[in-house]
Amino acid sequence: MSVLIRGNPGDTHLMMGNEAIVRGALEAGISVAAGYPGTPSSEIIETLARLSPNTDPDNYPDIYTEWSVNEKVALEVAAAASFAGLRSLAVMKQPGVNVAADFLMHLALSGVRAGMVLIVADDPGALSSINEGETRLYAKLMEIPMLEPGNFQEAKDMTCWAFELSERLNMPVLVRTVTRLSHASGSVTLGTLTIPDRRAFFRFDGEVLDPMEGPIMTPPVEIKHRSQLAKLDQAAEIFEGSIFNTYEGPEAPELLIITTSICDLYSREVVNLYDLGNRVGILKLGTTWPLPSRTVLERLKTTRKVLFIEEVQPFIEEAVKVLFAGSDMVGQGMAGSGEAGSGTPGSGTAGSGMARPGIAFYGKLSRHIPMAGEMNPERITRALETILDLAPGLNGGYPVGQAETLPIPPREISFCPGCPHRASFFSINMVLALDNRRGFTCGDIGCYSMGMLPGGFSTLKTLHSMGSGSGLASGFGKLGRFGMNQPVVAVCGDSTFFHSAMPPLVNAIHNKSAFTLVILDNSGTAMTGFQPHPGLPVDTIGNQVPSIDIEKVCRAMGALTRTCDPFDLETTQQYLLDCINDPEGVKVLILKQACALSPQKRHTRSFEVKVDKELCIGDACGCNRICTRIFSCPGLIWDGESLRAEINEVLCVGCGVCASICPSNAIVLKEI
Amino acid sequence: MQILGPAELSNRILARDLCTLCGACADLCPYVKSHQGKIARLFSCDKETGRCHAACPKTGVDQEKNSSSLFHKPLTENPLGHYRSVHMARMGSLITREKQGPGKEFQNGGSVSVLVIAALQMGMIKSAILTGSHGIIPDPRTVTTPEDVLECAGSRYIAVPTMAMFNRAASKGDENIGVVGTPCQMAGLANLRTNPLEFPDFKDPTGIAIGLFCTWALDGDGFLIYLKGKEIDPAHISFMDIPPPPAKAAILTLGNRQDMTRREVKIPLEDLRKLVLPGCAVCPDMTSLYCDISVGALEHDPGWNTLIVRTEKGERLVDYAVEKGLLTTAPISGESMDGLALAAQNKRERAVSAQRSMGMLDPEFQKPLKPEPQKTIMGFR
Repeated sequence: MSVLIRGNPGDTHLMMGNEAIVRGALEAGISVAAGYPGTPSSEIIETLARLSPNTDPDNYPDIYTEWSVNEKVALEVAAAASFAGLRSLAVMKQPGVNVAADFLMHLALSGVRAGMVLIVADDPGALSSINEGETRLYAKLMEIPMLEPGNFQEAKDMTCWAFELSERLNMPVLVRTVTRLSHASGSVTLGTLTIPDRRAFFRFDGEVLDPMEGPIMTPPVEIKHRSQLAKLDQAAEIFEGSIFNTYEGPEAPELLIITTSICDLYSREVVNLYDLGNRVGILKLGTTWPLPSRTVLERLKTTRKVLFIEEVQPFIEEAVKVLFAGSDMVGQGMAGSGEAGSGTPGSGTAGSGMARPGIAFYGKLSRHIPMAGEMNPERITRALETILDLAPGLNGGYPVGQAETLPIPPREISFCPGCPHRASFFSINMVLALDNRRGFTCGDIGCYSMGMLPGGFSTLKTLHSMGSGSGLASGFGKLGRFGMNQPVVAVCGDSTFFHSAMPPLVNAIHNKSAFTLVILDNSGTAMTGFQPHPGLPVDTIGNQVPSIDIEKVCRAMGALTRTCDPFDLETTQQYLLDCINDPEGVKVLILKQACALSPQKRHTRSFEVKVDKELCIGDACGCNRICTRIFSCPGLIWDGESLRAEINEVLCVGCGVCASICPSNAIVLKEI
Repeated sequence: MQILGPAELSNRILARDLCTLCGACADLCPYVKSHQGKIARLFSCDKETGRCHAACPKTGVDQEKNSSSLFHKPLTENPLGHYRSVHMARMGSLITREKQGPGKEFQNGGSVSVLVIAALQMGMIKSAILTGSHGIIPDPRTVTTPEDVLECAGSRYIAVPTMAMFNRAASKGDENIGVVGTPCQMAGLANLRTNPLEFPDFKDPTGIAIGLFCTWALDGDGFLIYLKGKEIDPAHISFMDIPPPPAKAAILTLGNRQDMTRREVKIPLEDLRKLVLPGCAVCPDMTSLYCDISVGALEHDPGWNTLIVRTEKGERLVDYAVEKGLLTTAPISGESMDGLALAAQNKRERAVSAQRSMGMLDPEFQKPLKPEPQKTIMGFR
């Protein structure tokens, strides 16, 4: 990681896509970076944070790095730096752009000053998300230029160049990456580090329409909008000659693959595997909004079959088809015949004795590539089998395994041993079931989202976006007048509380909604790697800073608020019962216990835990293995021979909660 | 009848509203609990046979087994069940209505309360599980002193899972526990006492079981809503009585004995019938067939009880109570016996007919369910 600042220009190092992006930003000379944790983007701010504090300002850059409270604020923090003349970086995952979208739209219209780049990391296939949203449409919607690196070198080079582009156009530039680029590693040759020599000053006295001297705002809207569109045209022109748009293959390929991002590597892999290099050409676009129309149309003229390889939505596919429909290729009687393998000549509209046959476009819209899910070489192979009439069942020499017959036990993902959420959800579930009125819990985003799974006793009955659990609960809590008598519970984490759960809480209190908010305070933003947040007395770098007390905030808002330890099941359940038995108003219960992987908890142990096999009744009526079958902490194991529970001494972290759930008192704790 | 598991109990009884809240299934394990007067199912238990199903009087009572284990006799066709003697009874000279403190009022002859006091005094039991109340709302309790027993005097008309409290006491290791309960509660207790799952270290902790006569019980929630509609505060109800036919109304007494504003309110029986638990319709037992002593009203005299002594233990208790002046007994008329037997027979016939129409007598009712394993979010079954 230190190669990111110590490496010399020309050195080649192996680094993660996110690290390459960091190096690119350093080479561009940023001064400020802000973001909110979100996989697969988190390493960018984390890496920048670790480069501080700066002890050698002559040789290494000084950068203010911030984990902002949410993505909207992160974008605003970065924008402020840009307005004051400093290059800045904003970083988030795809749903974060949704949160920042309102500001982004206005920022695109108002323009920026010093170079400002928005890095967004998408998660096709939802490997670490609960959505596979598509960021690229934001470039079109917000009308800003967008770049998509296709490999690790480009991740660095394009990030660096994006600042230059941003300054030329006075526009924010979107750089879009995906999991397989951000989290994989490759060789990157370094450029030159820049120590920026800029003093922060916000100029605002000049002419209203002067981008560098006037106030920065969106009115007069129509004029600014037209100038924004003119800048986009400028960008398209700049993109025509870009080295980031590459072509490899024959001059007149039988099939032209148009691809972006990491899909380029999948495409090359398949073309090499089947030795199709003489039939298939690959046009990799790196400047993907606005599309450089000449670059694209020139390639289209060389072929009769085009296959779009991209993820997740058919963004380039639709944009290219629009370009094609508006081009002279159509005017000359050349029709696009579109779907399913019908690349027959002369199938176009009636024309004046035209000689040019149509183009068949293949991709997601023709269902050759599935509309949902992540791209992989197999999907490309399946498509090529149809389009190029390849022998079916090719799998590139990969042996097809007999995986289905292996006796692999189903292993659901679950909470860590010692996780406070397991205890919290156990109590919530128990209390709602005892109450018997079909009460339910609205979920939110964090490790505790796993409360929707069996490992969390399937407690969550709704799950959407950051802060939405509280918002939904605010709504549910008003339905009593329409006959709803089910107790409503919402959960949110300590970081989520600051991110976006406060407005719905205010809404609920003010509008007299009736629900219980359980704040699962594990002292950090755990799911994404334990980043700090405003509830903690440390900032992004680790300096001591004021923390904001969640309990006091809730009280100040006017909610009935209590705090207890989720490991104390009895007290937690009693407090929860009190909350759901109260038919009116908002009740907040803060369950405070540090995450098992947090700095203060890790490698500590409260108890030595053992099962007394004489007392354990195992799977008999009266227990039926509630510890291993229901509570299912990884530290508890079922011994199929003695038919008794056992503690896995390696995995158990000694939190002691399981002792409270054993109906036979067979789990014995010894204080350490 | 088959002993099945929690899935069948849940599916065939709880989900179909056939539960009469006896509580015998509850608090034996982490999965079936009694809470605030209701039976709650927590998490999921996949056992094929369970004590919950075996205890439940609605899943089927093994009458042969209960008869032989409690009375050491085979099954009888007599609608009043097995018994050694039947009497009229009421509290003896030692405890009179005048001497009774400001606590609860006795129902009819007050025989149940004095029998429990006698059992405690003679050491037959160390504690008793009774059902007290706050106003009209029933409240199961463990008692150990005569004063606490008297606090629980009076009939409860709202069903409450008292047997769950017994189960909790038994699992704590208590012994010689006395229980007073309704016929379904006594049946549940009897089922559990036969050690249905044949645990090797099973010990019956029952000291004495006193059953009550019962034709039906009320759904608590429904009754409270009804009372609210009539602007009657349930907490102020100190006494409730349903006089024998031809009475057309139940009588609620508001305010306790010291209260100057004490008054009576009549509730039409036809209103109450709408609030009866659906599960009571399938219950064939009017006099609590499976216990040591059964106690109920005496039709022609509200100051006395009908006392059915079923076991040798029950007989010993009654003899002691009479000897100590706690209880007075007298011979019961043939007319009363006939009336009682007829009423019991009628209830049995109505119940069997209702059971048949609910499919409870079909062979399917005794077969295990084969639930489809559900898919989890990640796709596992």
